[in-house]
Amino acid sequence: MRRLMYEARAQLASPVRNPRMATVIGRLLGLAFLLCFGTGLFSHFLQQPLPWMTFPTRPVGLYQVSQGTHIIAGIACFPLLLAKLYVVFPQLFQYPPVTSFANFLERASIALFVGASLVEITIGLLNTYQWYPFPFPFKQVHFALAFVIVGSLLVHIGVKLPLIAAHWRAEPAPGPEERHPVDTVEATSADDEGLSRTRGLTGRVLAYIDSTPELPARTSRRGFLATVALAVAAVVGLTAGQTFAPLDAVNVFGPRKKGVGQQGVPVNRTSAQAKVATAALSADWVLTLAVGDTERSFSRADLAALPQTDVDLPIACVEGWSQMAAWRGVRLRDLVDAAGGSPESDLRLISLEQRGGFKQTEMGSEYVRDPLTLVALELNGEILDLEHGYPARMIAPGRPGVLQTKWLSRIEAIDA
Amino acid sequence: MMTTSSPALPSSRMRAARVVLVVVGALGLAFGGYLMVDTVALRRLPGVALWIGAAIVLHDAVISPLVFGLGVLTRRAGHRLAGAIIVTVQAAIVLGSLMTLIVLPAIAAQGLGPKNPTILPLDYARNLGLFWLTLAVASALISVWLYVRTRRANQRPSRIQS
Repeated sequence: MRRLMYEARAQLASPVRNPRMATVIGRLLGLAFLLCFGTGLFSHFLQQPLPWMTFPTRPVGLYQVSQGTHIIAGIACFPLLLAKLYVVFPQLFQYPPVTSFANFLERASIALFVGASLVEITIGLLNTYQWYPFPFPFKQVHFALAFVIVGSLLVHIGVKLPLIAAHWRAEPAPGPEERHPVDTVEATSADDEGLSRTRGLTGRVLAYIDSTPELPARTSRRGFLATVALAVAAVVGLTAGQTFAPLDAVNVFGPRKKGVGQQGVPVNRTSAQAKVATAALSADWVLTLAVGDTERSFSRADLAALPQTDVDLPIACVEGWSQMAAWRGVRLRDLVDAAGGSPESDLRLISLEQRGGFKQTEMGSEYVRDPLTLVALELNGEILDLEHGYPARMIAPGRPGVLQTKWLSRIEAIDA
Repeated sequence: MMTTSSPALPSSRMRAARVVLVVVGALGLAFGGYLMVDTVALRRLPGVALWIGAAIVLHDAVISPLVFGLGVLTRRAGHRLAGAIIVTVQAAIVLGSLMTLIVLPAIAAQGLGPKNPTILPLDYARNLGLFWLTLAVASALISVWLYVRTRRANQRPSRIQS
């Protein structure tokens, strides 16, 4: 077994598999992980704020950028994580498998780190396809794994810090044919320790591999880095057009396409899923505003008779896509004012939806008093489509799509 | 001997930084574990563990040996060619495989029928085929260029070596 482990490490040795390359790729992957974690936390707290939290409403595309970054960095993790695992793969065949209790903990944390990272980016990708073939809930597991991953990342950096520091900068002019064993352990010296060559099938396979010509080390290293760079460029470039308009023309693999949907805007939750068609199309629909003990109801004609405002705001979804659109409707703060409320209070927004996690949501006063926040009646020059929230929906700057409540039914002021 | 141009961190600072990283990391791990138990139904947790285990096995026992085999086979098949050509072909295969890994689930989800027509609206299977075709054409062109360049360089009498 010991001999096999040494053989494996020797066979897997490559000019690409060295601590410097692990540091170079690791830095990029670490950066992508931290971008995902930061933007993920921002998105989480926008949807489930702690009581003391308020959020910036400018720039209006804040959530479009932050969540777009979350998905772009997440998809870049596929080539970066696979490249990192490629570089450190011979470490798997460490012998003896465990040298001490601390070493056991380190290896266990690495296994968890690798497995959790692979699962995290995979379920994230599947969520952008809105496909859930896994036997657990997406949101909770994606959130919990994020902490597991960032925790193991910090442990990993702590353990490897001397190695990372030593290889942070390139060594001056490495020898052209130098073969680095991974880490500083001498992996290729197994044959010198009096171990006979493996016989039988294993031996023949190893001899076959041994007789395979090696590539020049420089070509290998450059080829590897070029492949990683091209892979990141390809997976990002060919999907990011779903959020980043200049890349729309080359969006061939994005789960959404700009301009595809009713009135040129993609849809997430449909009226059929929300079971709202009857109530939304009913002639006696009204939007009720409740402030304290007083209630005031507005029919759609009442709303249309109030002063109308035009705004250009993106609708940006947690799955990463976004779409700029022109909205027309009543300023929310004017409406609150007309109902006798104060723009300084938080609101509870209630949809006609029968069920669903976002049937009832809350809106902080920073959005209520913002002049760009509308109860929208029109989208891109037409009466709001049923799929976009007819008779009236909320649209506010910098909030996730799930909080831009469609099919509004009731707005309540929350007593401070 | 390991020598670096920049002065190494003082060992006491290095030690402190490592302790802080490991302790904060362990706290993060513990919090993640707590969230998992607190927010996910207990009967769902074996599924999470299964997926994490399966991901490790899939990578270590399937993807890595395939990549290793690809490296050996391309190097043997191209042993008469310049290293840059082998690397070009390897890069094309890796890029195509990676994109296939990412796009196949989209094609599968599309086949199962998205919840509304604005989800997965593109022809992903055709686009993936075109992507492979582009890779094949591009890597062939680059390889021919590299081949011609290497031959010219070899045929030219070298002054440096004489």
